[in-house]
Amino acid sequence: MELSLLYFVKILVAVLAIIALMVGNAIVMVYVERKAAGFIQRRPGPYEVGPWGTLQAIVDSMKLLAKQIFVPANADYILFFLAPILAFFPVLLLFLPIPFGPYLTSWETPDGIILILAFAGFGVLSNLLGGWASNNKYGVLGAARAVSQSIAYEIPLILALLAVIYQAGTLNLSEIVEAQGSWPWQWNLVCQPLAFFIYLVSLVAETNRAPFDLPEAESELTAGFHTEYSGMGFALFFLAEYANMLLVSFVCATFFLGGYKGPILDGFWWTFIKAYLVMFFIVWIRWTFPRVRFDQLLNINWKWLLPLSLLNLWVTAIVIKVIG
Amino acid sequence: MEQHVNPIIDAVLGYIAGFIQYLAGLLGPYLPEAHWAAYLAFALYVTAIILGGLLAILARNLVRAMMGLVLTFLGVAGMYLLLASPFLAFMQLLIYVGAICVLVFFAIMLTHNSSEGEESKLPPLSALGYGLLSLIAPLAVAGPLIILHGSKLKSKVPVDTPTGDLGKGLLTEYVLPFELISIVLLVAMAGAVFLAFRGFAPLKGDKE
Repeated sequence: MELSLLYFVKILVAVLAIIALMVGNAIVMVYVERKAAGFIQRRPGPYEVGPWGTLQAIVDSMKLLAKQIFVPANADYILFFLAPILAFFPVLLLFLPIPFGPYLTSWETPDGIILILAFAGFGVLSNLLGGWASNNKYGVLGAARAVSQSIAYEIPLILALLAVIYQAGTLNLSEIVEAQGSWPWQWNLVCQPLAFFIYLVSLVAETNRAPFDLPEAESELTAGFHTEYSGMGFALFFLAEYANMLLVSFVCATFFLGGYKGPILDGFWWTFIKAYLVMFFIVWIRWTFPRVRFDQLLNINWKWLLPLSLLNLWVTAIVIKVIG
Repeated sequence: MEQHVNPIIDAVLGYIAGFIQYLAGLLGPYLPEAHWAAYLAFALYVTAIILGGLLAILARNLVRAMMGLVLTFLGVAGMYLLLASPFLAFMQLLIYVGAICVLVFFAIMLTHNSSEGEESKLPPLSALGYGLLSLIAPLAVAGPLIILHGSKLKSKVPVDTPTGDLGKGLLTEYVLPFELISIVLLVAMAGAVFLAFRGFAPLKGDKE
C-alpha cells in the first residue's frame, strides 16, 4: 500500500464526517424516539422547546455538557473515565468500511466486516469497565448482564452474517452490495429471510435496546452499568449507544437490503433511507414490546436463535454446493 | 521578517534530530529498508506491548492488570497489521479482546468486586524465581527454531496473502495442526468442567 498525503487526508475527512454523522444522528434520533414514544403511548411527547419541540434534544445536550461530573466514593478513578472513552472512540473505526455510496467508502478493505466485528468487542468491554469501576452494585449487576447478553447474541449475529458472506464469497462490504441487485427481490432479504430475522433480533440485543435492554433495566437496576455516570461521561455512553444503533442499521442495509442499490437510481440516499428505516424499526419495537426476563432472553438465544442460525448456515452451504 | 525562535528549543530539536540521524547511521546497515511510518508504528506497537505487559504483571488490581493485557493484545494486533495480515489482526482483536478478555473480566467480577483485590500482596521471592524459570521452556523450544530457520526468510517485506488463500490453507495443507489446536481447547474446556463440576447431588452446605 502506497502511503500518501491524499490517503491520510481522506481518512481524516472521513473520521470528521463520521463524528458529525454520529452527533447529528443522536440529536435527530432522540427527538424521533421521544415523538414516536409519545405517539405510541398516546401522549404528545416533547412540544415546549422550539416548534413541535424540535429543539428539545439540543437543550438536553446543553444540559449534559453543563452538568457536574460526579465520581462515586472508592471508584476506580482511571477506569471510571476510561470506560466512556472506550465506548465512544472505537465506534468511529466501525464506520470506516461501510459503503455509503458506490464511491463513498472511507476505507476499502478486503476484511471490512471482520474489522467491524473486532472493534465492536470494545463496546462490551467499556460497559463492563463502567459497571465495575463505579463501585455500585447496580453497575456490577448491569455489567454482568451486559456481558452474558452480548457474548450470547454475538454468535447468532455473526452466523447470520456468515450466511450472506457464504453467498457473496467475500468479506468486503462493497462487494457484498455489488452482489445484490437494484430491485427489492434481488436483495439478500429475499433469499436469506431467516438470517435477516435472526440478525434483526440479535442487533436489538447487541445494542442493549428494549425489549432486550436488561443491562440498563431501569425498573430493577436504576440505570445498570451507567448508573453513576453524569454529564459528559453519560453523554459519551449515550452517543455510543445511538452510534451503535446506526452502525448495525447500516450493516443491515448493506448485508440484507441492497445497500446503496435501489430502484431507479443507485446512490448514497438509498443507504440512508434503508438504515433509517431499520433505526425506526428498532425504536418502534422498543415502545411496543415489554422487556423480557433474563432467563427468557438467554433461552431465546441459546435454544432458538443459535440452532436456527446454524441450520440456516448449513442449508446455505449445501444449496451453494449443489447450485454452484 | 523576524522570526522569534527560542534558541533553547531550537538547540534541543537540533540535538534530537542529530541523535536520531546518528542512531540511523549506526543501525542503518542492519535494519530492513522500510517507510519511516512503518518504523514509527513499530515503535508504537512495541511500546504498547511492553507497557501493557508490565501493567499486567505489576498492577495490584486484577481489572487494571487485565486492561494491561488488552493493551498488549492491541499492540500484537498492530504487529500483525505491520506484517500485512489484517485478517489475523482483526481476528486477534475479535477473539482476544472481544471474547477472552471479556470472559476473564466476567470471572473476576463474579469472584469479588472490590478495587483492592486478593492479589494485592507481592508474591514471595520463590514464586518469582519459578516464574523466571518458566521462561526457559519457551526459550528452549523457540530459540533453536529461530536460530535454525530465522535466516531462511525469502523476502524482507511481508507478503500480502488474500483471506481466501488463508482459509484454503487451513482446510487443506494445515488441517492437522488446525485440528490439533482445537483439541487443545477441547481438553482445556473438559479440564475446567472436570475441576468445577460438583456432581448433581447438592453439597452439605447448599440450601434446598
